[in-house]
Amino acid sequence: MAAGFKTAEPLEYHRSFLKENCRPDGRELSEFRTTTLNIGSITTADGSALVKMGNTTIICGIKAELANPTVDAPGKGYIVPNVDLPPLCSSRFRPGPPGEQAQAASQFIADVIESSEVIETEDLCIDRGKLCWVLYCDIMCLDYDGNILDAAVVALLAALRNTQLPEVTVNKETSTPEVNFEKRHRLHIHKHPVGTSFCVFDDSVLIVDPTAEEESLSTAQLTVVTDEDDRLCSLHKPGGSSMSGEKLQECINRATARQREIQKLIEKVTHSVTTAQ
Amino acid sequence: MKDTPLSNCERDFLIKAIEEKKRLDGRQTYDYRKIKITFGTDYGCCFVDLGQTRVVAQVSCELVAPKESRPSEGIMFFNIELSPMASPAFEQGRQSELSVKLNRQLERCLRNSKCIDTESLCVVSGEKVWQVRVDVHTLNNDGNLMDAASIAAIAALSHFRRPDVGIQGEEVTVFSPEERDPIPLSIYHMPISISFAFFQQGTFLLVDPCEREERVMDGLLMIAMNKHREICSIQSSGGIMLLKEQVMRCSKIASVKVSEITELINKALFNDRTARKAGRKCGFAESLPQERITALKTDQSEVEMTDVSERASDIIQKAEAPPPMAASPVLPAPGVGQVGHGLQNTWGLEEDEEQEEESSGEEEEIKMEEEQREKDKTTEAVVEISDSEEEEVVILYPETTKKPKNAGSSSDQKGAAASKKRQKK
Amino acid sequence: MMEVSASSVSLREFGCEQTLLSRPDGSASFVQGDTSVMAGVYGPAEVKVSKEIYDRATLEVLIQPKVGLPGVRERSQEQCVRETCEAALLLSLHPRSSLTLILQVLHDDGSLLGCCLNAACMALMDAGLSMSCLFCGVSCAITADGRIITDPTAAQEKESRALMTFAIDSTERRVIMSSTKGSFSVHELQQCIAVSQKASEKIFHFYRDSVRRRYSKNL
Repeated sequence: MAAGFKTAEPLEYHRSFLKENCRPDGRELSEFRTTTLNIGSITTADGSALVKMGNTTIICGIKAELANPTVDAPGKGYIVPNVDLPPLCSSRFRPGPPGEQAQAASQFIADVIESSEVIETEDLCIDRGKLCWVLYCDIMCLDYDGNILDAAVVALLAALRNTQLPEVTVNKETSTPEVNFEKRHRLHIHKHPVGTSFCVFDDSVLIVDPTAEEESLSTAQLTVVTDEDDRLCSLHKPGGSSMSGEKLQECINRATARQREIQKLIEKVTHSVTTAQ
Repeated sequence: MKDTPLSNCERDFLIKAIEEKKRLDGRQTYDYRKIKITFGTDYGCCFVDLGQTRVVAQVSCELVAPKESRPSEGIMFFNIELSPMASPAFEQGRQSELSVKLNRQLERCLRNSKCIDTESLCVVSGEKVWQVRVDVHTLNNDGNLMDAASIAAIAALSHFRRPDVGIQGEEVTVFSPEERDPIPLSIYHMPISISFAFFQQGTFLLVDPCEREERVMDGLLMIAMNKHREICSIQSSGGIMLLKEQVMRCSKIASVKVSEITELINKALFNDRTARKAGRKCGFAESLPQERITALKTDQSEVEMTDVSERASDIIQKAEAPPPMAASPVLPAPGVGQVGHGLQNTWGLEEDEEQEEESSGEEEEIKMEEEQREKDKTTEAVVEISDSEEEEVVILYPETTKKPKNAGSSSDQKGAAASKKRQKK
Repeated sequence: MMEVSASSVSLREFGCEQTLLSRPDGSASFVQGDTSVMAGVYGPAEVKVSKEIYDRATLEVLIQPKVGLPGVRERSQEQCVRETCEAALLLSLHPRSSLTLILQVLHDDGSLLGCCLNAACMALMDAGLSMSCLFCGVSCAITADGRIITDPTAAQEKESRALMTFAIDSTERRVIMSSTKGSFSVHELQQCIAVSQKASEKIFHFYRDSVRRRYSKNL
């Protein structure tokens, strides 16, 4: 009976739960799904992390390459994020060039990196105007069950924490770079931005960490990104039902709590790896 | 979205009118519609209104490596973008036949006629040259896009100023407009394309066809010419045969039209120059027609700021503050961490009680399936009846070392979710 | 706490012209200072089968940059404009049909996304589409010393520490869309929202005036 009700009237089905202040999967309205983090999942990458939030699974691999800095910013390296939503992760995506959602997610991640200054691009410069690092951050969704932006930000942050760059010296005589793979050092992470996504049901009920089904039934979505100093790096609300300043403040406060939780998680997991070595 | 088709009745009416030497908008056979040329705030931005047809051209430039075959020449790039704004028939990102035709004609008109001195665009031979890019966007298609685009492109090129560069040894520095005045392109002549539409297998001829007339025409002749009466390109399309005299007559008309239009462009350029010199504003806000009732403009206005700060603090204080403490994460293994006790994923990473329960519900389903399968099997000669679902699952997943129960629950998410609901009831 | 000096908080002169193109069903150009955007709307019209939605109209938004082809940045702006329009339009009145909104950037001198939203709203009004509310776009920049600038120019945007664009609805002055760049404190955000709500009054007033002027002679 319940299954039939769910298929025939998905919105009514969700409403009947929301009326009781809970959700079909048993969570409270402001409760996240269990977040599992594994770092160093890909050995061939310079840094990597796998994040699971409920069923949503995102993997992030970081590849560092040497390149020439751009003419406009000779003292800076650059970071190129890319979010891939392959057909593998959900039937809603088709093979071929990236769709609108993937492009919007890539742009969002790029904005978060730039706004939060998670990494100072000056740190990536090796030889001013001649040589710098490019960090290709490939973020791939393996299982799509909503809220990929939060998972992608956590995966990216954990992967950056995990990244070790080899030491590079520029040979004075031949002016060619020499890479010393034996000696690696970690990236300096300045900030820890963490995203928290919300969905609005029927223009009024606010729920956190939506699943794919909740996302598709909701009337609005928004993502708040905060860092450890309680500064906001992004308040991304592409549209949907309107919200008052008070309601947004509620979201921001929930996001602050989430940021502490995730930073602690990343901190602990990174620590467990270094002690295990 | 498709264009609205033209009805037979309209078509007949149009042709009949043309046969009687009448045009819908009251023009004579050789008349052009009103041409309006305006320039934007940027250098190299030009709007052309040809009656209702509207296009905008923008010239931009950047330093690139030259082509190997021509190391000391700058690169010209033209692009006419048939934006869906101009007509519902135009699609985004699709190379239509019309777009290829227009782009080709513009290239022949402006690049192949060598009207721009590309050698002056060279900065360091073989290393760095300017690439000048002309983007023409169509805003409204009311016929004769080609003429409008060619006027817009050449006017924009004449209006454009590229930044000055300085070379010191190997270093190339690009000066901003504040440091050094930008430099105009050197343009030898201004080729302009003039379109002629032919009807009834070439019996009737119209200059500057509008969109309706373009739909019923049999053929089109485009002549690009400069004011020195030098023909830069001729293109006939639509598959009509033209007599030598007809082409000659068209080229004579073209020469008159070209000199008129060239004068108009020069006048517009002159007006813009004097306006800029006088320090007057020449932006879009100025070009907005004031007299129309569909247009309205306001002046700069202050925003009241009295209680903004108080309101912001008010909202922040009223909201429930975030809890100071965060939940401690669990570390099942080095390199793996977990936080939160909300919904677990259904991957079967952790074996907790709930999943055990779920799989018992699962078993029922499997059993039912199995009964079905067993019924099927009895029809076969050799029967290998399995007595437990464990074996069944093992056969399905011969390489899994996990407990079959678990494999069952993780293999079918939907089933697990459904069974959970059943338990709740 | 930083107090905001009133001098910096102003909107540049802005203007709008509607029904300026003959082909689209609705068109408008919106000018804010030197920033200018032209918008055209087609629809409701027939829809491609692959994009058909059974209970409402499909809205497509295209943003055409002035130079070059649209890229990832335009895609994300398109998403913002589209979802804002979807929130305001009563799309369920036109099931199984398509609406196309094309925005052509004519000049970018700051507050581009805000200007796009204003042009879009004026064009939708001109097309006579039913909407549950109007919306407007307001951009705010926060300078290095913590001042708030509304409707910043490109130069002010470049020097600013953070940039925010909000879409405000006309019924309750709430936030439909928010897009931010740079980092800022919660207090700054709430201030910017409050300022944008104030600024939106001016723009809605302008909408009203322009519509009144437009229909002044039809009676």
